[in-house]
Amino acid sequence: MPASELVQYVVTGLLVGAIYALMSIGLALIFGVMRVVNFAQGDFMMLGMYVTYFLATGYGVDPLAGALLIVPPFFLLGMLVHRVLLVRVTGRGDPQREMDAQLILTLGLSLVITNATSMILSPTPRAIQTAYATRAFTAGPVLINQARSYAFVMAVLLALLVWTFLTRTDLGKALRAAADDPEAAEYQGISVRTMHGLAFGIGVALVAAAGGLLATYHPIEPTVAVNFIVLMFVAVVLGGLGSIPGAFLGGLLIGLVQSLTLLVLPLQLQNVGVFVAFLLVLYLRPQGLLGRRLRAV
Amino acid sequence: MIVLRNGRGTLLSVVAVGLALVLAGLALSPAAALAAEELKIALVVPLSGRWARQGQLKKMGAEMAIEEINAQGGIRALGGARIVLREADAGDTVEKAVSAAQRVLGREKISAGIGAWLSSFTLGVTEVAERLQVPWFTLSYADSITERGFKYTFQTSPVGGLQAAQALDLFLSLAKAHRTEVKKAAIVGDNTAASVFFFKPLREKLLREKGIELVVDEIWTPPLADGTPVVQKIRSAQPDVMFFSATALPDSIQVLQKMKEFGVRLPIMGNGVWLLMPETVQAVGKDLIEGVMSSVGAHPLKGQEPLVERFKKRTGEPFMVQDSLMAYVHVWIIKEAAELAKSTDPRAIRDAVGRLDLTSGPATALVPGRIRYDERGRRVGATTIIVQWQGGEPFTVAPAEFAMRKPLWPSAR
Repeated sequence: MPASELVQYVVTGLLVGAIYALMSIGLALIFGVMRVVNFAQGDFMMLGMYVTYFLATGYGVDPLAGALLIVPPFFLLGMLVHRVLLVRVTGRGDPQREMDAQLILTLGLSLVITNATSMILSPTPRAIQTAYATRAFTAGPVLINQARSYAFVMAVLLALLVWTFLTRTDLGKALRAAADDPEAAEYQGISVRTMHGLAFGIGVALVAAAGGLLATYHPIEPTVAVNFIVLMFVAVVLGGLGSIPGAFLGGLLIGLVQSLTLLVLPLQLQNVGVFVAFLLVLYLRPQGLLGRRLRAV
Repeated sequence: MIVLRNGRGTLLSVVAVGLALVLAGLALSPAAALAAEELKIALVVPLSGRWARQGQLKKMGAEMAIEEINAQGGIRALGGARIVLREADAGDTVEKAVSAAQRVLGREKISAGIGAWLSSFTLGVTEVAERLQVPWFTLSYADSITERGFKYTFQTSPVGGLQAAQALDLFLSLAKAHRTEVKKAAIVGDNTAASVFFFKPLREKLLREKGIELVVDEIWTPPLADGTPVVQKIRSAQPDVMFFSATALPDSIQVLQKMKEFGVRLPIMGNGVWLLMPETVQAVGKDLIEGVMSSVGAHPLKGQEPLVERFKKRTGEPFMVQDSLMAYVHVWIIKEAAELAKSTDPRAIRDAVGRLDLTSGPATALVPGRIRYDERGRRVGATTIIVQWQGGEPFTVAPAEFAMRKPLWPSAR
């Protein structure tokens, strides 16, 4: 096994991992602020892929640009979904019953989106044909896919943008306050319900953008979400529930582990490494890489 | 008194109308009795569910043949009897396929049947046809279809057990013609039944017999998360050929994209019609699919360009694949059998099929241009052919005497 092959696997893992990271940030934000696990997150990603595809094939918009253009409309879509559906199962009554209702609601939403897309667009897979999807930068014997490189850079930039927003703007701080202590935040004049809508909108927008970036090199079909939602969950838990930097790190780690697993295991077990790493972290560091131990009630 | 009068009048009216209807019926009967007999063919294929596309293509082929036959006078030995298609939806399970066959064969007199596409469906449907003594024609590959001692089953494709060996021989002859020595091979694909059926004989016996070393053997459960490790292994091992069967299109796209990116150029040999569909080139893109080959039981051959053009014009499809071609041929075979039998009786047609030995005409549009079935119901001389994508369309490239195009061969690494 030449060292260059190891480097090849590491590079590939990180490039893919950045996309997982961006998806996971959206999910982590929603969970962190709302305590809602959004099972439909993967399907919003799938919709992001399709919109990017239609922008590319119908209007000649480069998918990398398309992935950014879809952020505002998906943000509005996320806020709308929150306003119409999620407010009914958050912020009132028994938390356990609410959690059950949230699970059922988001799972139902996932089914509706997937099946509606199959009916309207047909299950036939599509792919965006771009020159850079099948080209690579070369660094000695190591090949670095151009599409994934661009997607990596944009994922990192978007993640930095979110981080900046959360830590350097009043609105971002209000979001975090609503996450830390909803009751106290309400007393300080922060509308927790509005913050929930904002978080859901941003979370959906991020995963749609990740879908757009993914579409530069990954085929698109209505059921593509199931391949990624599990990885998102693992990344979020790995990084520590509710931690944005943790989710990003978790995503990178998953991409890396998934790629490196194939050095020692056959291809059929490509995701075994991911779950082994997941179990190890849960066992050794149950709060996740960057999570905090929850305060005792 | 008034009521009585009205009642009596109504009764008379009813009687009058009744008599009129009876007379009308009598008038119609003689005309109906003079109509020519019809030869009904059953088509049991998936028309809904996940394989609906395949079923629709078969229906298109059958309908085209029927239209052509009826337009030139129908079945002459039966006074110009017209052929009528009776389709039934096999759906997406064996149970539905069997139910469909029972319904269509039980409802009216069917002279012959075509279908059911998937081998597992065909195994079930032919049980029904055998019991009801209706000759049944299929393109399904499974050996077991014609290993049960059935008299009414006719398998027109080369059987699965022979296809991998035939494909390998044909491929090696292509390689030799291009001065390529095949010493190392890669097997790349998923673990679905279609792929296993192709890979297993190659892996276990055929490659070894030819002295070919298997240097890459990458199998995954769909979906493939990332094509990189697969292609990285190919890049390192440098095989002379890749046997490829990624039946989930997204997985195919990933592997082919990655191969282009990594600059890995070598012959790619697949198996099955899934790799030759219009949807395949739409999804994968004609640049990526260029040069990819697939072995199948049938595909339009040299000299059949007019047939393909008629099909395209009639259906709007960009090209013709084995599903439509086989159904087209099956209808013509049934027509020739009916001419020989001088009857629409399914048993008489079955006996006529047993006597058929056609070497010309539309029914023989399959390699090697002969229609004859042995005592098991297998077509004599049926052999696998190789089809290759060129310019966004699949063309037969081997055997050479039937090739529509010369094969594209990847330049030396």
